[in-house]
Amino acid sequence: MIYLMNAPIQWGKVGMVLGIIAGLAVLFGLLILIVTKVCHIEEDEKVAAILEHLAGANCGGCGHSGCAGFAECLACGKACISDCKVTSDEEKQIICQIAGIEMSNDEPTVSVVRCSGGNEAVDKFDYVGYEDCLSQTVIMGGDKLCTFSCLGGGSCSNVCPIGAIKVNDNGVAFVDKTICTSCGACINKCPRMVIERIPAKAPIYVACNSKCKAKEVMNSCKVGCIGCGLCARSCPNGAITMVDNLPVIDYDKCTGCMTCVNKCPRHIIKVH
Amino acid sequence: MGTFLMIIISAVFINNFILVQFLGICPFLGVSKQTNNAFGMGMAVTLVMTITCLITYPIYEYVLTPLGLQYLEIIVFIFVIASLVQMIERAIKKFSPSLYNAMGVYLPLITTNCAVLGVAELVIDKAQIMSLLGIKAMNLGVAVGYGFFAGLGFTLAIVLMSGLRIKIDKLNINPSLKGFPITMIAASFMAMAFYVFNLIA
Repeated sequence: MIYLMNAPIQWGKVGMVLGIIAGLAVLFGLLILIVTKVCHIEEDEKVAAILEHLAGANCGGCGHSGCAGFAECLACGKACISDCKVTSDEEKQIICQIAGIEMSNDEPTVSVVRCSGGNEAVDKFDYVGYEDCLSQTVIMGGDKLCTFSCLGGGSCSNVCPIGAIKVNDNGVAFVDKTICTSCGACINKCPRMVIERIPAKAPIYVACNSKCKAKEVMNSCKVGCIGCGLCARSCPNGAITMVDNLPVIDYDKCTGCMTCVNKCPRHIIKVH
Repeated sequence: MGTFLMIIISAVFINNFILVQFLGICPFLGVSKQTNNAFGMGMAVTLVMTITCLITYPIYEYVLTPLGLQYLEIIVFIFVIASLVQMIERAIKKFSPSLYNAMGVYLPLITTNCAVLGVAELVIDKAQIMSLLGIKAMNLGVAVGYGFFAGLGFTLAIVLMSGLRIKIDKLNINPSLKGFPITMIAASFMAMAFYVFNLIA
């Protein structure tokens, strides 16, 4: 240390080092500048502006690769703004102005799990293995006898960006409608296609997805729809029709009188 | 041919940059959640490592050594790597947008990746690399080859890790170990497995 302090400073060497570093800095600075000029691409300002107003959840519910991909498709008119369920209406209006498209006034929707089986549904075999639903489906189509049921593996709750869907104590996924933004991430993920969108204001929903006949349903699940049609016959507004052994509710006609909820012998029409 | 084979075995297995030398751990843990992302990162690192060796070796050999300024190696190499990555990124964005989409997001991460600086430092350390490869003379070809296969070794490790992580995520693991801790444990076992190559050599 003392030697270093007493040694005369070699100004020539210091100058050379500084020269090399400065030379490199200038050289690479120029090179980057040249490359940038040569490789300049026109970026679409529209896309950036749209992206700024999107919710940025990157949930993938619109079917595009994140919000950036969706913004690109919006800018060139390949996508529909109503595909995004997360962005608020005010933001959507601004985006429509930017992109020069018309805003469609869709009613807000939420996801709902159309199964109430869980532990009430009969098991085909004892499943031991990976917890997620996709892995369960690979083995003989899942461990439930009913092929339309929720497996309760929780793939939907893993993929939900806001934690609105959870597997409850009964082993069925359940959507918290106060949180759900209807982004559709769980709908895309579910291998059993048991989740679907219904209007947020819907008073009731059918918590069964089984299109089987009564006898099969009786054997496979304690709480499955047997397709008796009592709900359709008792509905005072004619809002329920039977399709494939399942009631289909026309939410435009439904007044929320709860007649069907009280009449259903299997208690599968539930208050939403 | 013997040298070529030795470079592959040495760079990919015996001195695997991630699992034996513990360089470039950040992308190894950060970008190994999905296999295709991990592969993209590995390819980007391979590209940058090869080009880095191609440029830093002559700079050290023909500029710094004659001037007696070997101690400037680190600062010069960082200069070279950082600006190189910037240029490559812009060039890829222009000439191959699809490659940019696959690789572009990882390129800026490589700017400060220690595995790249590590390979640049290793190939100029003549005594060490010649004893590693069992050769008597060092040249640019060996340096570039070593850079390329070191990148492939990086890719191998990160892709293996991503496969493991996908399987681990599906398992029912104790909450205290879930996520990052179990990944670190798995990585340590992989490092032990790769250390066997060192004993054979």
